[in-house]
Amino acid sequence: MTDNMLDLPLDARPDPDAFVRAAMEWHFNPETGSAYWLERAKTLDFDPRTNVQTLDDLALFPNIVNDLRDVRAEDLIPQGYGPNPDVVGVYESGGTTGSPKRVVVLRDWWSRSTDWMNAHLDAAEFPRDVDWLSIMPSGPHLAGEMPRALATRRGGITFYLDMDPRWVKKVIAAGKAEEATAYAEHLIDQAAFVLQTQDIGVIITTPPLLERLAGRDDLVNLINEKVKGIVWAGTHMDADTRFLYMTEVFPAVRLHGIYGSTMLGGGIFERIRPEDDDACVFDPPSPFITFRVVDPETGRTVKYGERGQVVMNHVSKNMLLPNNLERDIATRVEPPAGQTGDSVADVSPVTQFEDEAVIEGVY
Amino acid sequence: MTDPIHIDALGPHGAYRARNRLVVPDVAGNPLVELSLVPKLFVTRAMSAMRKADTLRLEERLAALAEAGELFATGVVDGLSATDYQYTVSRVAGTPLPVVRGAVRAIADSAAGAFGSAQQARPVGAVHDWRDPKARDGTAVWIRRGDVFAVHAAGNHPGVHSIWLEALALGFRVAVRPSRREALTPYRLISALRASGFGADQIVLLPTDHEAADEILRQADLAMVYGGQEVIDKYAADPTVLPNGPGRSKILITADCDWRDHLDMIVDSISHEGGAACINTTAVFVEGDPAPLAEAIAARLGVIPSLPPEDDKAVLTAYSLPAAKKIESYLRSKAEGTTAVLEAEVDELPDGSAVLRPAVHLLDSPFSEQAGIELAFPCVWVAPWTRAAWSAVFRDSLVLTAVTKDERLLDDLLADPTIKNLYIGDHPTYWMALGVPHDAYLGEFLMRTKAVIRD
Repeated sequence: MTDNMLDLPLDARPDPDAFVRAAMEWHFNPETGSAYWLERAKTLDFDPRTNVQTLDDLALFPNIVNDLRDVRAEDLIPQGYGPNPDVVGVYESGGTTGSPKRVVVLRDWWSRSTDWMNAHLDAAEFPRDVDWLSIMPSGPHLAGEMPRALATRRGGITFYLDMDPRWVKKVIAAGKAEEATAYAEHLIDQAAFVLQTQDIGVIITTPPLLERLAGRDDLVNLINEKVKGIVWAGTHMDADTRFLYMTEVFPAVRLHGIYGSTMLGGGIFERIRPEDDDACVFDPPSPFITFRVVDPETGRTVKYGERGQVVMNHVSKNMLLPNNLERDIATRVEPPAGQTGDSVADVSPVTQFEDEAVIEGVY
Repeated sequence: MTDPIHIDALGPHGAYRARNRLVVPDVAGNPLVELSLVPKLFVTRAMSAMRKADTLRLEERLAALAEAGELFATGVVDGLSATDYQYTVSRVAGTPLPVVRGAVRAIADSAAGAFGSAQQARPVGAVHDWRDPKARDGTAVWIRRGDVFAVHAAGNHPGVHSIWLEALALGFRVAVRPSRREALTPYRLISALRASGFGADQIVLLPTDHEAADEILRQADLAMVYGGQEVIDKYAADPTVLPNGPGRSKILITADCDWRDHLDMIVDSISHEGGAACINTTAVFVEGDPAPLAEAIAARLGVIPSLPPEDDKAVLTAYSLPAAKKIESYLRSKAEGTTAVLEAEVDELPDGSAVLRPAVHLLDSPFSEQAGIELAFPCVWVAPWTRAAWSAVFRDSLVLTAVTKDERLLDDLLADPTIKNLYIGDHPTYWMALGVPHDAYLGEFLMRTKAVIRD
């Protein structure tokens, strides 16, 4: 049964090519495929069920993420799930540029993704049976759904805040940095109430908000007193900042990063105790999620240790999202044994070069 | 290839070598310095530590300042001798070695004289302490407007680091964000200050990218920022930030004086300091025909030799070849419609770096906009001045040297608050002295008075 392979847990390592063939069969069979993909397939100059035989063949697909801005959510659900699919939610990208992209997350994928992340947290000796404080985007953001799933599975309650990251982006784009600061401080004020009154053992938040927490001495003390673990996700953290947290700000707290994206349908925790303490490496659960680090100019894979742009493939029963060029730059790292594709380290936003125009005056 | 010179951040817990390091090449493009760039979190933590720190007692501060100045100028700091330091600055920043040496001496003198110099700004009615006998009758006491002072420094001239020493002398804790081009001078100076008695949480060096740079300003009580016109505009409405922008310094010679008697002063004002300081003359105004003066200036500037910056006789500021070409083409586009008496020229040196040969342009009106275009090499605009133009064309000048006998004109030039300094007669625009303000007294910005009366 080909479907069995797609139902495997995320730490199973099925033959990647056979896995991809099973996924092609599922997503492009008129019986099981989604209305979106069956329709989209008509515009392709190849037949996925015959021409996509290996993981590498996923590169044949165009990057279709922009379709996700206006397609009906129902049309994204593979018909093989039957008339009453178990939908966890419809989640949207941050909405940095234009209208947001949407993905539909189904229960079977979500459970397996959460299982996999949980096993990782156990391996990282992250605490169980403690309450979580989530200072993450709320509403249609997958990053805000994840803490609930993880905390519940690990025996804890989750405390939430309202957070609308799009509003923040909007005021920043309008040059109103002070408004963005006021909003962020408003979030930290709310977090402070929870931290002061509840038994919070884990905080999950974004690097910019973690910096704001760290900027308040009273909260740093409170966190060092009661919090055992901090998970960061949603944006990037540079190696120096990470080092400072681990050695100086929160020396006794376990700090663990997630590299994720709504378009991945989940998140990937950082590698546990890598040989080089400084590198923050992310190993994707291949062949469900695979990375390739490419030179943005040529599209060719860069050498290990070099930096390039991340191309992601998501291949599951829930969703097919091949060949998605993300806006992230990362160092290409050798994968651990058994993993297909690249691992990535030290993820950062696409570098912007400084304006080198001549400035009048001597400074 | 030799090992790079490491410039670490100097944080409240000591030196920090960041993972994120910027390779700074010398003017020939060879990597020479590795500058540690710290993230925002480091800045936040450092500024918070500074806020909690003590201030050294006055005698301790002054002793430490004087000692640090000498150590900086003559000693071995962090393994680097004074000679090697001066050589490295000239190679990285392109500043002519003689200019570096002069600036180093000026920094040492400023360190020793910082407190006395700062006192020149104290209002005559103000004393230092409530214990002063004058407080029995009621007096003003001169107090700091805050505790933490931040500087976004420039890299055009080592001398910019002589200015903030007054803030240290007055008891501020100081955070310096160096320019990326020339971070060695503040690194050496702050290392010397620490070796001489200042605590690591009292004076810090925070090399950062732009995002974290704003954090330094946000966390400081008061700040001084160097930059172009856009920096001036950005902070114009912020009473806690003192911006330092283009100098646009100028010279005026009226018809009652002969410019021939002042040619040395004029040429010196243009080319001294490598032409890269805000106190270098940008435009010369002369009543009558400006062409003969322009030609005389061109003849003098034209014979300055093109030498590498580390040469003992170097006069011109060196640049990387691409940087020099960029400035030259910018000037070319701006100079359209003017007459080039001496055209700027990129002169490539044997090591692959370049100097910009001096440029002299003739303007046909005192109101030509070019007279305000200041570039960091000996580049001067010579314009006719008329009685009708009067003082208006000198607005927004850091220094104006006025060679004139017209006292009514001098009165008006003095009265204009946008002309920051007025030098009357044969005094070059680069003239400076301890205790005489550079752009008003820094103390006017750093301090205020408080009324005190006691039993």
